[in-house]
Amino acid sequence: MSRQLRSELLKQRTTRTTLTVLACMLGLILLVVLLHVFALSAADLRKASNQPKVYGWGTSIGALFAALLGAVSITSEFRTGTIRPTLLATPNRATVLTAKVLGAGLAGLLVGLIAEVLVSSIASGGLAIRGIHITLSAGDFAQMVAGGAAAGAAWAAIGTGVGALVRNQVGAVVGLCVWLLLVESILIGDVPSAAKFSPGASAGALAGMIQNVSGGALLPPALGALLLLVYAAASASAGLLLTKLRDIP
Amino acid sequence: MQDDNPRLAVQADRRDETPTGLAEPAVRVDGLSKRYGDVVAVDSLTFALQPGTLTGFLGPNGAGKTTTLRLLLGLATPSSGEALIFGRPYRDLQHPARWVGAVLESSDFDPGRSGRNHLRVLALAAGIPRARVEELLELVELEPAADRPVKTYSLGMRQRLGLAAALLGDPELLVLDEPANGLDAAGVHWLRGFLRQFGAGGRTVLMSSHILAEVAQTVDQVLIINHGRLIATVRMDELSDGARSLEELYLELTDTEAQ
Repeated sequence: MSRQLRSELLKQRTTRTTLTVLACMLGLILLVVLLHVFALSAADLRKASNQPKVYGWGTSIGALFAALLGAVSITSEFRTGTIRPTLLATPNRATVLTAKVLGAGLAGLLVGLIAEVLVSSIASGGLAIRGIHITLSAGDFAQMVAGGAAAGAAWAAIGTGVGALVRNQVGAVVGLCVWLLLVESILIGDVPSAAKFSPGASAGALAGMIQNVSGGALLPPALGALLLLVYAAASASAGLLLTKLRDIP
Repeated sequence: MQDDNPRLAVQADRRDETPTGLAEPAVRVDGLSKRYGDVVAVDSLTFALQPGTLTGFLGPNGAGKTTTLRLLLGLATPSSGEALIFGRPYRDLQHPARWVGAVLESSDFDPGRSGRNHLRVLALAAGIPRARVEELLELVELEPAADRPVKTYSLGMRQRLGLAAALLGDPELLVLDEPANGLDAAGVHWLRGFLRQFGAGGRTVLMSSHILAEVAQTVDQVLIINHGRLIATVRMDELSDGARSLEELYLELTDTEAQ
């Protein structure tokens, strides 16, 4: 297993995909956070209930890009055909999938961490420039960064499972984007009592805030962590089961 | 290109894995069938390859050659029958790279990854030392291009990189799908020399091809399949005039089948 994990980590480092994903994430973070910090009125931003909504973008963007890295780690192998040499070297598909989930999980942890640190630094810098007092406590920041990193790892596993299920790279990437950026927002707006159990809101619960949601609209962190773990295990297991059952093209 | 390739063996204790492994046929396919819905891609195929033989695997497009190789390598599951490598299903081999090397398609690379890193990724997964990667880059004469992304490689270079990947574990059996595709005359000459030397060491080659003249000059025997069924097994030394009579035989057999 450690051989396969090291192989997966080397795969991540030997194409430009990882760097491209990180660059896209940086661009999106800059756009979203600067727009929120500089376009909203100072009165709105001074409200303690509004600031987590801005800072919460770190959780959703981190989760999204972690999920994309996870999905691409397997769909790119189907797209390029490298899945064949990969499985010839390691015929046990459970070993390959587990190594992919762990490898993507490590990358996702890093992506979640980077996203939260970037969003909090840019948002705090912007608020300071506008002379707006930051209402978040040190504890809030600590939970955001640690929880966001853990949520990134879990979402990378979810993304790997989705990639193994869908196999088609465009399908998996579009599906994950639509779910995290669109469906989750709609659910939270329309059916908040049920939406708090969704995988996106569970990430928010763990980090204390996610895109436009915080506080009472989210589950307690421990419950969010447990739910995320269940989602990650379910997605990875479903991906593994179907990878074992289906032929490789 | 040079003909006298060094053997560059990895000292692998493969014989400890299955003490009886080398007494088994290198490949044993028994009643192998694969159906996709109503389509029968491989139909009750049965054959065995003894160690040390070079075998050509011939048939028209869509005859089931690639499907048979995928079944043999555990990438697809048979509808019925079995395909064994040294007595075991591929998925049960503990160190598959030390038993079998395969080149399935010339495009099985990430275009953005360098040739050297492609080999390193596979060597890591198979537990093969890094030095072996450098030996193989030298063997297939890709060293000068090893750090360039594969998308800059010619088709012939990709074939040689695929062959290098297949040879990482210094295997007993090579399975090659259309290995001469995209090779120029010098490349084909090099490949032929390489395969003969590989076979001379008591190792086994199964190569599919549609270039009959090339196959006739390289292999000891051919299996001809059509519509997923084995229609002939021919030893090359039984043919009076090598390539020409192989072509006549092939066309006659596959043409009769089509009617």
